[in-house]
Amino acid sequence: MYGEFDLTIPKTLQEAVKSLTAGGKRAVPLAGGTNVLVDVRSQRLAPERIVDLGRIGGLRGITVDGGRVTLGPRTTVSDLLASEEIAATAPALVESARVFAGQMVRNTATVAGNIACGSPAADLVPPLLALDAEVTLTGTTGSRTLALCDFYTGYKSDQRAPGELITAIGWPVPAKGSFGSFYKLARRKGDAITVVGVAVGLGLKGGRCVGVRIALGSVAPTPMRARKAEGLLEGEAPVPERIARAALAAAQECSPIDDVRATGEYRRKMVEVLVARLVNNAVQTG
Amino acid sequence: MSTEKTINLRVNGREETATIPPHRTLLEALRGLGHVDVKCGCEKGDCGACAVLVDGEAVDSCLTLAQSAEGREITTLQGLGTPEAPHPLQQSFAELGAAQCGYCTPGMIIASESLLRKNPAPSDEELRIALSGNLCRCTGYVKIFEAVQAAAAVMRQTGETK
Amino acid sequence: MTAHDTIQPNLRFSQVGKSLTRTDAPGKAMGRTPYAGDYVMPGMLHAKVLRADIASARLKRLDVSKARALPGVVCVLTAADMPDRTIATDIPGQTGRDRLKTEQQILIKERVRYFGEPLALIAAESADIAEKARRLIEFELEPIPGVYSPEEALAPGAPVVQGTDNVVSTHKIRKGDTDAGFAEADMIVENTYVTPFQEHAFLEPEAGLAWVDENEVITIRVCTQVIEHFRAVADAIGVPHNKVRIMGAMVGGGFGGKEDVTVETYLAILAQKTRRPVRLEFTREDSFVGHGNRHSMTLKYRTGVKRDGKITALDVQILADAGAYVYLSPYVLLYSAVNAPGPYRVENLNVHARAVATNNMFTSAFRGFGGLQAAAGYEQQMDEVANAISMDRLEFRRRNYLQTGDPISTGFVPPSAIWTEKCADLAWEALGDPTPSEGPVKIGRGIGAFQQSYGRLTFLHDTSEAWVGIEMDGTVTVRSGVTDIGAGQASSLAQIAAEILGVTLPNVTVYNSDSQVTPLAGTTTATRALYMTGNAARLAAEAVRERLAEVAAEKFGVDVAQIGMEFNRVFVTDDSAKGMTIADLVKLAASRGVHRSELAIFRAPFTDVLDPETGQGQAHPDYAYGAHAIEVAVDTETGEVKVLKSVAAHDVGQCINRAAVEGQIHGGVQNGLGYALTEEMLYKEGRLMTPSFSEYLMPTAMDMPPVESIILESRSGLGPFGSKGIGEPSMTPVPPAVANAIADAIGVRVFEMPITPERIWRALEAARG
Repeated sequence: MYGEFDLTIPKTLQEAVKSLTAGGKRAVPLAGGTNVLVDVRSQRLAPERIVDLGRIGGLRGITVDGGRVTLGPRTTVSDLLASEEIAATAPALVESARVFAGQMVRNTATVAGNIACGSPAADLVPPLLALDAEVTLTGTTGSRTLALCDFYTGYKSDQRAPGELITAIGWPVPAKGSFGSFYKLARRKGDAITVVGVAVGLGLKGGRCVGVRIALGSVAPTPMRARKAEGLLEGEAPVPERIARAALAAAQECSPIDDVRATGEYRRKMVEVLVARLVNNAVQTG
Repeated sequence: MSTEKTINLRVNGREETATIPPHRTLLEALRGLGHVDVKCGCEKGDCGACAVLVDGEAVDSCLTLAQSAEGREITTLQGLGTPEAPHPLQQSFAELGAAQCGYCTPGMIIASESLLRKNPAPSDEELRIALSGNLCRCTGYVKIFEAVQAAAAVMRQTGETK
Repeated sequence: MTAHDTIQPNLRFSQVGKSLTRTDAPGKAMGRTPYAGDYVMPGMLHAKVLRADIASARLKRLDVSKARALPGVVCVLTAADMPDRTIATDIPGQTGRDRLKTEQQILIKERVRYFGEPLALIAAESADIAEKARRLIEFELEPIPGVYSPEEALAPGAPVVQGTDNVVSTHKIRKGDTDAGFAEADMIVENTYVTPFQEHAFLEPEAGLAWVDENEVITIRVCTQVIEHFRAVADAIGVPHNKVRIMGAMVGGGFGGKEDVTVETYLAILAQKTRRPVRLEFTREDSFVGHGNRHSMTLKYRTGVKRDGKITALDVQILADAGAYVYLSPYVLLYSAVNAPGPYRVENLNVHARAVATNNMFTSAFRGFGGLQAAAGYEQQMDEVANAISMDRLEFRRRNYLQTGDPISTGFVPPSAIWTEKCADLAWEALGDPTPSEGPVKIGRGIGAFQQSYGRLTFLHDTSEAWVGIEMDGTVTVRSGVTDIGAGQASSLAQIAAEILGVTLPNVTVYNSDSQVTPLAGTTTATRALYMTGNAARLAAEAVRERLAEVAAEKFGVDVAQIGMEFNRVFVTDDSAKGMTIADLVKLAASRGVHRSELAIFRAPFTDVLDPETGQGQAHPDYAYGAHAIEVAVDTETGEVKVLKSVAAHDVGQCINRAAVEGQIHGGVQNGLGYALTEEMLYKEGRLMTPSFSEYLMPTAMDMPPVESIILESRSGLGPFGSKGIGEPSMTPVPPAVANAIADAIGVRVFEMPITPERIWRALEAARG
């Protein structure tokens, strides 16, 4: 690989933030490296400084406390797969982790990195959106927490100020009896970029849908919540016509494009198919 | 600007020294030190040919900066076994025809070893998921699956995995 | 020649036919086998290639001054530094025929014809400096109108890429009377099938190291299927043939993609200019545009058929995309034409095949070599015709299969067994009980039978040499120029020599692929290595054995026919107490001055070219036959396909190494599934949009189904011990079997591969109206 950058490997978060802030827009944080180094090699990214976060202690790990799951930003995709807590509280996240790239990438790619890379096809993001996850950002002036669904501002752009890092990802443990699932439609089963990703989270209370969250990947400039579809189901009985209307709404509110993997037309149709399928599965499971 | 730095790398149990710029990947650094059993296939994490163990876990050495790997325990295929005392995976890959052109073999065995350290008795599905980041164009993976399961059985018997 | 269903029915082997550990396997599993890219030399330079980023353009400006000025840059070459240097894109042959006019500029002088065509070469003290220099070269390309499909290229007034009208090759096959045949038919079925470009996707990118040796020979250590390109390289750089030496290494996969010259010419020029060792390793992106891909083809099939299933006439029109340069297109196209009717009796046949130049990546050899595209055509068409006459797909095939002794399309009678029917029935049966369909997921099954040659075109007058010698301790050395591209080519020679000389496999060492030192053995292409070089090794080993056996016969006072040699011992067959070690026998022979080695040459049948108007005559030495059966599950809402079962049944003649045969079959299935389902080279005005393994998707471990191999041994082939070949045949029937299974599952056919989820969804949408 060739690139003209300096590399700093700070030992503390404060040093990292300082180094990134000083570097401004041309400074890039490095976690697992599975996106950043690919982009540097292909000259899509030409940083002057790379700040490797790998030596900062305490950034990796999964805690469940007080009805809340919290991930350290450097928690890897493999960490998610190995965690009993995640298996118990976030099955959709496990499903997406299982089909996330290949083993070596899963061993290094981090949750924060997947969120921060801003790819519409970032596979962990739809399940996290469906869990109503929040991200904590830390910069020179301190920390702030915002909803993941408010994090993205456009294609590959987000709320982070220069120097700010994602320092935690958290979500409330879903209520008992709620259901979560993720489906990745791709051109092959293993190690593929997603054509359409759909995550659904919902519960059933007295025969009605509650806490409905539907998140979509690869069908808009950023991973997105299908709010209209959610609204059509929230508080309603999940009868087939209702589910079909919600699925159609999800297909209408996304904005997929044509690329080498599929056309926008196909993607839109698949959103409808998969949203209906996942909601139906949830209802049948519940 | 990128300045060179002299670092120590611990490879297959031995300390080695390299003077390298920040952009040098672990793949390039290892090959530069003569560890050419680490193969370059795509340089972007799509093929797995360059996999090495870093602190016991398989990573793509093409997606790791060498300076970042300083002080970590790095194991390449040659570090797993010698011709006199081959690792069970090396033995089974050779005997069961799991290596054809052999170019994916180093990464494939490293990924398999990384799996077996965590999961000594993987199901077929678990094995396929674990090897999905290692492309092979010769074998259709069939004999690779056989070889990994055969080695896993040997390792369970001899207690090489716990 | 009469055809044989079996020959040598009662052979007993000690080494051949077993799943022995290949001689190359331990080194590969230990990570100790050096590949071409692993070699370094003191004072070595690092090379890079600068490539054009527009497919059809004129070079307006190329300024390398900044690159040349960069400290550490030793050499930057452009076309201006090598006026009129071209590289032949034909195959080396012994025919004495004129070369096709297919030469390509080594570096672009004026006109760019494909995306990625090389503009400049850089050699520097380090790879970093070379890369920095590459980025400092300034160039300006002025786009000129191009053509991006054969149809565009054939349109009146289309821009000309090659020749006068873009048609680079035409082949015709005419047999019987198709007009009468169609008139006789109860039904005529016409369909057009489209097959895609395909990338070889070997894991090892092209790499090599060149230096000038003590004999002033430019020596190139390189991964290649064909060391005999040393002649083409010598011609290109203007030195005598014996001043270029190509040394192979264990090749990290070939599949036809390392059949043409890749890095060799660049390395030779740079070593010649700098007189220093030079290393060049393609990046994966280089590799995608650094060797020819598989021809995309459009195959139009028109079949006349009687209600009883008899095919009365077949007309096949084939249009192949040759890309920007000719390379092996005429030969690939010939394979398509010869194999157009497949393993079926067609008395009234008309095939018209054309290869057309475009501004896409040039296309050349790839496992199956045109025969594979034809199979995608004829086997899908066989299903469509069976459906049209409402006959069971297997029964319709049974009524038309070629049988041993039948002539193929060119009128030639293959000398070996034709066991297609047996293979197809066994493969189909092995699918077992059908998996039930569930909800939107529908199950379907498909069969693909095939005909695929082994051995090169007979008008190329192919030969192969091997040397076998036995040492005083009973160990054996084989020397042969054959390249080993991962299928166990070298190990097979060892197994053959071991069998004949009565030693065990670990006692044989093979030295291969060195154009100055090992006897020239020809190419590792065309499923020919076992047939050609295996026979050469067999002849050499037999000659040595005969001389040793005479010594033993004299020693034991018996007839030579009574001498057995097995497991490192020589003995009298009906009195095994009489015997000694092979080592002692060799020492005895040596003390008598007996010649302990032999250099042998094997010659394939030599023929003239096929009749240019009728295509009648002999094209290949012989053909392999077999079939593949597939079961798939198709999600009719999303179009996703899961391959559930895959059964291969092949008559391989005789296994040399059973595990290696199985390995070839498994790999052929992976190649074929990718071709049918996931692998797609997308071009946009000639620009490759899928230049990486994250965009170009070959099947992963999660995509492969279980594969069952049914291996039949007719022992009727032309290779050693009656072997045929399995390298290409293993892949050929897979794509149509998959396509037929999908069509069976969903009730409509997707006529274009790869059969992606979206294409399936669209076909279903169209059918749903």
